[in-house]
Amino acid sequence: MESFAPVPATIGGLLIGLAAAILWLGNGRIAGVSGIFGRILVSVEPVRWRITFLVAMIAAAGLGALVFPGLMADGAAAAPKLIGDPLWLAVAGGLTGLGTSIGNGCTSGHGVCGLGRLSLRSAVAVAVFFLVAMLTVAATGIV
Amino acid sequence: MSTSYRSSGYLVTAALSGGLFGLGLYVSQMTDPMKVLRFLDVGAIASGGWDPSLAFVIGPAIIVSFIANHVSNGMTAPLFNGRFHLPDFTAIDAPLVLGAVLFGIGWGMSGICPGPAIALIAFLPENLLVFLVAMFAGSFAGTFVLKRMTRRPRHRLTEPV
Repeated sequence: MESFAPVPATIGGLLIGLAAAILWLGNGRIAGVSGIFGRILVSVEPVRWRITFLVAMIAAAGLGALVFPGLMADGAAAAPKLIGDPLWLAVAGGLTGLGTSIGNGCTSGHGVCGLGRLSLRSAVAVAVFFLVAMLTVAATGIV
Repeated sequence: MSTSYRSSGYLVTAALSGGLFGLGLYVSQMTDPMKVLRFLDVGAIASGGWDPSLAFVIGPAIIVSFIANHVSNGMTAPLFNGRFHLPDFTAIDAPLVLGAVLFGIGWGMSGICPGPAIALIAFLPENLLVFLVAMFAGSFAGTFVLKRMTRRPRHRLTEPV
């Protein structure tokens, strides 16, 4: 099982769950990242908290790498690498944005929050996007 | 207790939540696209090359989220807001499934979902900007597709502050 690390994975998952819990109990907002950024451009809703959330997310990921560099697969010096050429990534990014916008949620909104709320709608979305993603990986042979 | 979107409690909560979210993504290494792809590569289960990490991330996250939802059932309102903002959509309809299919293809191609895509700005890996610009454009375009697919107006887009 290449690179499988259950302890950091579980701790990371608990932190993400705690993040969702805090945003829900404190602000009554769903910690779905596609929803948080997707409505910055088109919404008349407040954007300040959304930008605050995203900036803190970026900063904490970077800070985590400084404090715990050993968690990265390739060691401290290596930043994560994206897979695929620019055109491939543009198509993938476009589909990710389009799909999460039309489907109203991503891995965090439908996955962590929706399933935590026992939403049948989110369960359907999660089942579909996991299955399609697995089929896509099998079809492209990218791994 | 203030319920203003500009209150310090509201913004501090957003910052704390975003910070824990980003730290969780890094600690779990869900910021590494290859690690996500190795989870999605279920064909590798037989050969022993499969990485089940993602399940160990999302499982505990869902459990904590479930508990938070349970706690909120006993509250009339969140601490810093007048109400809990549930999604406006409840139907299992064509946009939900179509959206999930398109996102699934994008995720399977790249191993990047929206959270890690944005958290990766901390590391600026090569070609991240291409992915992000395309993701934002796709998300923006999707709001119009969704409007066409649903007769109902989107409350989210018109809701007053």
